[in-house]
Amino acid sequence: MNHQTRVYNSIFEMLPGEENPSPLVRINRMNPSPDFVLYAKLEWLNPFGSVKDRAAWEMLRDLEERGELGNGRGVVEPTSGNTGISLAAMSRARGYHMRAVVPNRVPLEKKVLLKIAGADLDVVSDELCPAPGAGGEGSINLAKTYAKAQRHRYALPNQYENEMNVRAHYRTTGPEIWRQTEGRITHLFVSLGTCGTVTGTSKFLRAKKPDIKVIAVQPSEGHDVPGLRNVSQLGVSKLFDPSLIDEILEIDYKLAYRRAMELFQNEGLRAGPSSGLIYEGARRIIERDKTGVGVMIFPDDIFKYTANMVRHIPSLAEGLHA
Amino acid sequence: MTTYANPDVLVETDWVKANLGKPGIKIVEVDVDTQAYDAGHIPGAIGFNWQTQLQDQIVRDIIGKEDFEKLVGGAGISPQDTVILYGDNNNWFAAYAFWLFKLYGHRDVRLMNGGRQKWLNEPDKEMTTEKPNPQPVPYVAQPPDPSLRAFVSEVLEVARMRHKNLVDVRSPDEFTGKVIAPPGMTETAQRGGHIPGAKNVPWNTAVNPDGTFKSADELRRIYLEQQAIDPAKETIVYCRIGERSSHTWFVLKYLLGLQNVKNYDGSWTEYGNLIAAPIER
Repeated sequence: MNHQTRVYNSIFEMLPGEENPSPLVRINRMNPSPDFVLYAKLEWLNPFGSVKDRAAWEMLRDLEERGELGNGRGVVEPTSGNTGISLAAMSRARGYHMRAVVPNRVPLEKKVLLKIAGADLDVVSDELCPAPGAGGEGSINLAKTYAKAQRHRYALPNQYENEMNVRAHYRTTGPEIWRQTEGRITHLFVSLGTCGTVTGTSKFLRAKKPDIKVIAVQPSEGHDVPGLRNVSQLGVSKLFDPSLIDEILEIDYKLAYRRAMELFQNEGLRAGPSSGLIYEGARRIIERDKTGVGVMIFPDDIFKYTANMVRHIPSLAEGLHA
Repeated sequence: MTTYANPDVLVETDWVKANLGKPGIKIVEVDVDTQAYDAGHIPGAIGFNWQTQLQDQIVRDIIGKEDFEKLVGGAGISPQDTVILYGDNNNWFAAYAFWLFKLYGHRDVRLMNGGRQKWLNEPDKEMTTEKPNPQPVPYVAQPPDPSLRAFVSEVLEVARMRHKNLVDVRSPDEFTGKVIAPPGMTETAQRGGHIPGAKNVPWNTAVNPDGTFKSADELRRIYLEQQAIDPAKETIVYCRIGERSSHTWFVLKYLLGLQNVKNYDGSWTEYGNLIAAPIER
């Protein structure tokens, strides 16, 4: 493994860590304050394409170390796509089968990618009706069913409850940011899904710098931003620790798509909708706080969301056919 | 603290575990998500598919008496058996199947409190993919009990006369016509809104966060006091396709013991498509 020449013996050596951090790229034209230094951490440059490489790897390694995988036993995971893609690719490359259980609203691109990556796919019609204990949790319950009824075939990492998801960010994302900003970071901007990123990263950074501001963004209710959760949906994640978060901003989810497009067109960053939402949150805080050094964790890129983009920015559908 | 009017229609997961495999006790899973049973179910449980087995496949209707007899007898269930129903989404379609069993006169049918989710999340409860191989038995059903089912003619009369309780158990957005159906649902209607005079009490008002039913006192407070459902009158419940309303029908008729509660299974997908039917928003 040589990070200088970037020659690797396997794809796994490319996984991010303090010695091989995902890039921080400064925001220039879209930064509202000249006295605020704003960086985007480009998680789509991880080998399997998203921030979820970190949690997936930590959870998979943990299962391997505990002897939970192999001899016909693979993994089953409820996922809105990215964790599934990382887990499928990693599992298959290590010789295990993988089953992904996804809500129906997950974009087609992700469902197809999961199959291309070698996952067995179950699509569940989540979000039928608000239901305590059941609403929007169909995919989690179906994955749990596989793990319970077919224990010999499936181990369930379960990113919503697995401490390894937090540990991954405590071990990698936090130290990377600390080193990349040389300890100057004042603001961390994140989104909330499983909450592994925010909990792990801010735990590390807060230990280094107790007065760091951690700002989380939420899509407005009824949103269409895969992977993210509104406060009303957060009960599902056991990793949510509100004591680590200074502010939660709720932002109209349609802005996620608009800002994502602007980031590509003005900064050359092919950011996905959750990144767009995080940027909008950062923009609002910078207009208020004016000075500081901020890092936005951009979870993935726009390639998996072209159909969603067309749905939310209808002008993109114009002139596509001869 | 008072008990349910008919406590016998509800069994707890621990009771089911203790009675697995006992003669005369038949467990049946019915889910919204029809893949769930195949992924894993309670050992010994039969799976019924609501789309292909509980509905007539040509006419829009519940299965007829003969098909019900074939289905239930084919599953090795005799009229004397105790049938335990459970399913996903807090027993939506399990409640629908309960209604169907009662409609065809099955004597002893019960719901497992908390449904599939509660069983799934209890570490001492097993699940399997192994399907039972029941020996078919003769099953003779009763003619459908007209006191349990409302048809559109009666509903239209209630919309005009307002002489019965009408309970719409859909979400507030469906009730007000903001949406015609929950996102992604294929069964839909031409118009949004609700039947004139209906009260909106979403089905999930009746359940705790773990999916079990609320206590008798809580249910009484919600339905009889806060929502002022008049127990002296007949009641008709409806939703979109009749499964969520079965859940509330079960609550009103069996847990609260109201007399004359009917499920209008045609529900909004019938009513919202009628020409000239009065609609409120």
